Amino acid sequence: MAEMWISMGPQHPMTHGLWTLRVKVDGETVIDTEPDLGYIHRAVEKIAELRDFTKFTTYCDRLCYASANTWSHAYIYAVENLLEVEVPERAEYIRLVAVEIQRIASHLMWLGAYCPDVGNLTAFVWCLREREMMLDLLQELGGSRLHYNFPRVGGVKRDLPIGFAQRCRTKINLFLNRIQEYEAMLDESTVFLVRTQGVGYAKPEEMVNHGVTGPNVRAGGINYDVRWAHPYSVYDEVDWEPSVEKPSIKGADCYDRYRVRVEEMQQSARMVLDALDKMPGGADTHHQHGDEAILAKAPLRAPEGTSGFHHFEDSRGESMFYIVGGGEQRGKFPYRNSIRSPMFITIPYASKCMIGYKVADIPAIMGSFDPCIGETDR
Amino acid sequence: MAEGDWLDIRGWVEALSFAIADNTVGMSRFWRQKGTTADILTELIMAVVVFGLIMTTMLVLLWIERKFFARIMDRRGATMAMRSLWVGEGGEHVDWYGLLPFGTGAPFRWLNRWLNKVAGSDHEVESVARVRDRSYHGIWWMLPGFFQNIADAVKFLTKEWMVPTKADKFVFEVAPFIIISSTIMLFAFIPLGPHVWSANPDLSLLFLMAIFGIAPLGVFFAGWSSNNKYTLIGGIRSAAQLTAYEIPLLVTVLAVAVLSGSMNIIEIVEFQMDMDGWNLFLLPLGAALFLITMIAEVERIPFDMPEAEAELVEGWWTEYGGLRWGLLFMAEYLRAYAACLLFAIFFLGGWEPFGGNLVAQYTAFIPGIAWLLIKSWLMFAVFVWVRASLHRVRTDQILEFGWRWLLPLSLVNLGIAVWLRLWVWQGEVWSPLVPGIITAIAVALFVLLAIDEDPESLEGRERPYSVHVKAGPAGPGTHKK
Repeated sequence: MAEMWISMGPQHPMTHGLWTLRVKVDGETVIDTEPDLGYIHRAVEKIAELRDFTKFTTYCDRLCYASANTWSHAYIYAVENLLEVEVPERAEYIRLVAVEIQRIASHLMWLGAYCPDVGNLTAFVWCLREREMMLDLLQELGGSRLHYNFPRVGGVKRDLPIGFAQRCRTKINLFLNRIQEYEAMLDESTVFLVRTQGVGYAKPEEMVNHGVTGPNVRAGGINYDVRWAHPYSVYDEVDWEPSVEKPSIKGADCYDRYRVRVEEMQQSARMVLDALDKMPGGADTHHQHGDEAILAKAPLRAPEGTSGFHHFEDSRGESMFYIVGGGEQRGKFPYRNSIRSPMFITIPYASKCMIGYKVADIPAIMGSFDPCIGETDR
Repeated sequence: MAEGDWLDIRGWVEALSFAIADNTVGMSRFWRQKGTTADILTELIMAVVVFGLIMTTMLVLLWIERKFFARIMDRRGATMAMRSLWVGEGGEHVDWYGLLPFGTGAPFRWLNRWLNKVAGSDHEVESVARVRDRSYHGIWWMLPGFFQNIADAVKFLTKEWMVPTKADKFVFEVAPFIIISSTIMLFAFIPLGPHVWSANPDLSLLFLMAIFGIAPLGVFFAGWSSNNKYTLIGGIRSAAQLTAYEIPLLVTVLAVAVLSGSMNIIEIVEFQMDMDGWNLFLLPLGAALFLITMIAEVERIPFDMPEAEAELVEGWWTEYGGLRWGLLFMAEYLRAYAACLLFAIFFLGGWEPFGGNLVAQYTAFIPGIAWLLIKSWLMFAVFVWVRASLHRVRTDQILEFGWRWLLPLSLVNLGIAVWLRLWVWQGEVWSPLVPGIITAIAVALFVLLAIDEDPESLEGRERPYSVHVKAGPAGPGTHKK
């Protein structure tokens, strides 16, 4: 068949968001790709220059609709670095619980979206069933289902609700049992294996050169997890280890990227259980809003010329915030707020990964990188 | 010959037609054409009867697809359309039976307590209970959602019909006509019972399989004429996979015909009934092959590449809308229904009751059509089960699977059928040993093959299912030529 360009997007089942992947095909074989991003650019970085620090957290939630908590936490850590705030230890533990539950929910959303990509709807609904439990937990913490606005500069919005620890343990244990269902459905299914194994090889050294981070690069055997390499918060106190796949000599394929996320969900679940046990003051105590144990006092203005920076292990990779304080001229507003999105860096590399494979592999490969366009376009 | 049952619809229709012909044409000066008129009338009425039976019972198929699939998926809405009558959210139910006078609601209260006990949500954590609620099935015997399809039909009827501007309009209109008409024509040759059939030529099997192969042509037309790249790829895929499954399918059907010694479908059923042995127990390999190839033939997961919605939006029917889309969808399910009926006819003894001659005298009041329909619905449940548990394979994978596995296996199956017919069969009822031994061997093989490989042994090994990649490894600059 003659070569032709197919424009997949901006509305296409493969895209998982709003972007266009232009694919050049020769029959069924992909010979060239060209990602086209920017459909939902909202100028979030510019918005940040017109808000004081506390008012920008909600925008960070909306950077990624599947993983809101991780983004607002990343921002709050950068602000605390800028304003030099000491966060109470109990607040750090509560943040860790919130972020890791969010990571589980995000990976469940990914797994749920990935199964229809390779043609199965059953596991999709199963994943959303468990995600619902995680959203219930996050709703208890933040008050809403998707965008929580949970962290505050210097602590968290509120303490763990009464009875949260017990409910959380029950649900996490139930979830750990339910992971076996997915493994029975996916790992033991030959059809899933022939669709994911040996498809979409990504070489580790190329991923490093491109700046791919997060589960995608850990699937390639590179042990780079910000929580492990540069421990922030209390990640060095809870019991866990990063999930790293041992890829084949050709690189990491879709199956590796699937396994690394399933194992990361298990690690996060264990981390939550461990953090609840080790929480200072006990997980069952409840402090009022604004109590010193969960919220430290923080200044509103940043001095002239100061800058704050934090890199954070998001569900999809390493997210960074770089904030320059406004000083006298800008008042409470920052001079500049720069955001590094992991998927903005991963998507161009992922679209090159599918060259040489079939048209049917496009959603299988693209979905395995877990694109989220909200953070990509910012 | 096996005896027919009491539901002699064809006999009644023939008597009616002859009475009509006698009193109309027979009274006129064309009285010589009386017999011909009666025959034509019989065929017409039977065609309408069979069509009506198929279309009404097809609702069951759609219902199975909805409910059984939803049950496997553990999906909330569809499994519990009526459940709020006794199990409300968070254990609070509407106490409507408490309002009934004289305590007549007590049985409902007991039932409610029992249901809550065995399938309710009594976990102490409310939202865990909420999640577990989804497993509760609702009142299945009230057929919730059974008539949803009527609402769907009304929706399709009210949608606008649009043709893409640069489509080949004539072919675009002809393609659904080819698909739908050939699909409905299938049921002319499928007998629903010993006396419920529309046409019965001697070579009905040949006719049937020939008509089954027409629809992919329409699919190709539709894909090409829509002037859309997704539909084009879908149409080409349909044509490409056609050869991979159609030849094994025909060879498998040929094996059934060889074993039964007839190309007539009714005679195939009667052979199974007379010889006391369903083909499932004589040709288990053939049954498996027929199931796989039929799933490919009716384009269901895992072989629905022509309409792979993940990459091709909706495949070859992306550009169709409104009633034509609805009719094409109906044709999809009609083909699945035909596949299920054919499986029941070829391998499950057609309209013979479960248990065969042992129970025949006790079940004589149940007409054969009921047995056939129940068998075909069970088969459709298997189709849904397959769809719910498998993923979609790639086009190159089904080609490889078809040519490397299905075709040789179907030839082996044909050899078994020839051997059974020529050397084992003595012209009388099968000895129970023959189906027994064959089934035992098949079950043993299935169990041996179904035991999973040790997943530990796969660790650290090169990927067992690697695909051949023509272009070089992906990376910066490799896409430029």
